[in-house]
Amino acid sequence: MKRFAILAGVTLAAVSALSAASLRSVGPIAFGPNGVLFVSDPLNGTIVAFESGDNKAGKAGAVNVTEIQPKIAALLGTTADQIAVNDLAVNPISHNIYFSVTRGKGPDAKASVVVADAAGKLSEFPVETAKSTSVTLQNIVADTIGRGGRSARLDAITDIGYADGKVIVAGLSSEEFSSKLRTIAYPFSSANRGASIEIYHGNHGRVETNSPVRTFTTMTVNNELTLLAAYTCTPLVRIPMSQLKDGEKINGATIAEFGAGNTPLDMVVYKKDGANFILMNNTARGVMKIKADKLEGYSAITERVAGIAGVPYETIAALTGVDQMDKWDDSTALVLVKNAGGSHDLKSIALP
Amino acid sequence: MNRFHVITATLIGLMGVALLSGPLSGQPAPQPAPGAITISMESEPARFRVTGSTFIRMIANPNYQAIFSVSVVQPNASEVPQMTGDYTLEQGALVFRPKYPLQPGATYRAVFKLSRESAAQTFTVPKPVIVPTTVVSQVYPTGTEIPQNQLKFYIHFSGSMSKGESSKWIHLLDEFGKEVQQPFLAFDDELWDREFKRITILFDPGRVKTGVRPNREMGLAMEPGKRYTLVIDKEWADATGTPLKETFRRTYTVAPRDNTPLDPKTWRVLSPTAGTRLSVTLDFPETVDSALLMRVIEVQDAAGNPVEGKVTISREETRWAFVPDVPWKAGNYVVSVLSTLEDLAGNKVGRLFEVDTFEEMKADVARVHALPFKVQ
Repeated sequence: MKRFAILAGVTLAAVSALSAASLRSVGPIAFGPNGVLFVSDPLNGTIVAFESGDNKAGKAGAVNVTEIQPKIAALLGTTADQIAVNDLAVNPISHNIYFSVTRGKGPDAKASVVVADAAGKLSEFPVETAKSTSVTLQNIVADTIGRGGRSARLDAITDIGYADGKVIVAGLSSEEFSSKLRTIAYPFSSANRGASIEIYHGNHGRVETNSPVRTFTTMTVNNELTLLAAYTCTPLVRIPMSQLKDGEKINGATIAEFGAGNTPLDMVVYKKDGANFILMNNTARGVMKIKADKLEGYSAITERVAGIAGVPYETIAALTGVDQMDKWDDSTALVLVKNAGGSHDLKSIALP
Repeated sequence: MNRFHVITATLIGLMGVALLSGPLSGQPAPQPAPGAITISMESEPARFRVTGSTFIRMIANPNYQAIFSVSVVQPNASEVPQMTGDYTLEQGALVFRPKYPLQPGATYRAVFKLSRESAAQTFTVPKPVIVPTTVVSQVYPTGTEIPQNQLKFYIHFSGSMSKGESSKWIHLLDEFGKEVQQPFLAFDDELWDREFKRITILFDPGRVKTGVRPNREMGLAMEPGKRYTLVIDKEWADATGTPLKETFRRTYTVAPRDNTPLDPKTWRVLSPTAGTRLSVTLDFPETVDSALLMRVIEVQDAAGNPVEGKVTISREETRWAFVPDVPWKAGNYVVSVLSTLEDLAGNKVGRLFEVDTFEEMKADVARVHALPFKVQ
């Protein structure tokens, strides 16, 4: 049984040195320190860190770009129905806006990162030539035994973020039903292979699940850096970052239930009038403004509750059709919002 | 690869008139030959070419992008950016090579303007008509009975598919042909394999689990004793943009919830005979997950080395069979099964899909279950 033991211990490996990256796909993206752009490549099972060089301070002016998809499609020489905008991330230094874009629909679709300046001028980020390092998420090997042409499993990546020197990656398996959260120290090094964690959380019916994390953010709770993870149908789960250790199974505390038939999409942490909030957009339940003070004071929900429970929130009625969101500056968010024609406009909005 | 589509447009040349300005100022006024400026397009590889310009050769440090713009005509947007690509001057012709291939069916507008020379032309890239051939080749589970807490379907296609539209084309109908609302998990990044030939469709676990709000607000997606039909519309486009050849339908009868974990003690191994390439088989008392069956089981010899061979699954995913590449040698072997194997409801070995959460988390079940067999 030695073989299994060895495989089980390997979660991350294959750190590549600074070189041109070859992206096969693009999923969620996020900014790290000094203009480093983290790009997930689900088909390759890698996270690529680009030194974007885009680290000259820029103003967070008002943004209002209509019909962003046809414009991105045009830049890539195709029509709007042939692209998917998978994610957006604001460079917090330059205030340029980065889009993760798939051009084409089949397995040979091309991966592209498109940059918009605050005036809406588009260009393609040179993924082929920009300096980068990468890590391979090796669960593909670790969770597979046997040979004979059996294909390795492929994970989808649901979210990526950076906090406290670590890249955090949430994933979803296409086969067994499980949640994998990984943390990887950046700069990537072969000495630090990162951690793979299974997170369980309680549901009202006194059952637990390790269903996949859909979006997450980090904030300081009770002087401790804490991961706040949101799931389909829509529990909010609190996990201290210090608990995210390799191979651990963690029981996260469910501190809110935000409603059924819904998937949370993005979370923005902000401060207003001395209080902390999280703004969260959703597939079915609009944009929620969640009170985020003293989150340590909420104990895990362990009983069935008839309605919404835990941390209080209000739904911002004025914000509808928000499909993607990131922080623009301390008082504004940048949103990709559905317009009447079914396409999307890119706007900066005041944080409510 | 001589599959060029060449379309040529000859256009207005406002030639030989008046004085020059702009980039050419300060130079002696050239005398362009009367004639036409022509823009042509070739696909595969994509190329737009301007010929007939006299001035183009005379500019120092030209900004070709400002002189010759090529953009996609977007039905619902104005002021779209130019396509990204490279410009070169080749034997007097200005050539633009887009970075990405041209999109069949799309219309491109090319505009050349240099001082008094100008031309503009639109081109539509021909879209080949492809006869639909791609079909749904299999849906797992292949049986016709599923538990009420069925967790997923695997849909296999004969060819590569297009991504991003699965929620539009997959339906679950009740006995009256009425569509069950939102039975499946909504998810932006669909769960395809690398070739886009298999997609995993998860039932919304909120509606599978007991006591979770969607379950109480919307009810369970399926009721035991009733029949439901999975429908995959033929309008779903494959990777070439061509619809499927036919609609797929399969009707399942729903059995009560499966709340029993997998139990290796109920699995039966049938040994092959030494000197043959007959299969070793592993029989399960219930249908198990097809994808995991192919991935999480292997045969090892007495030294723990894996035996190479081919796996097949049959009998509605209750039988796993392994044929070695070379004939069996007499001796002791094991069939090793990872505990991540799941039944149709996501129950694993020693662990239910739903577990009482507020008890202490139990010690892990063994990661691997070894089922010994003897070849003689």
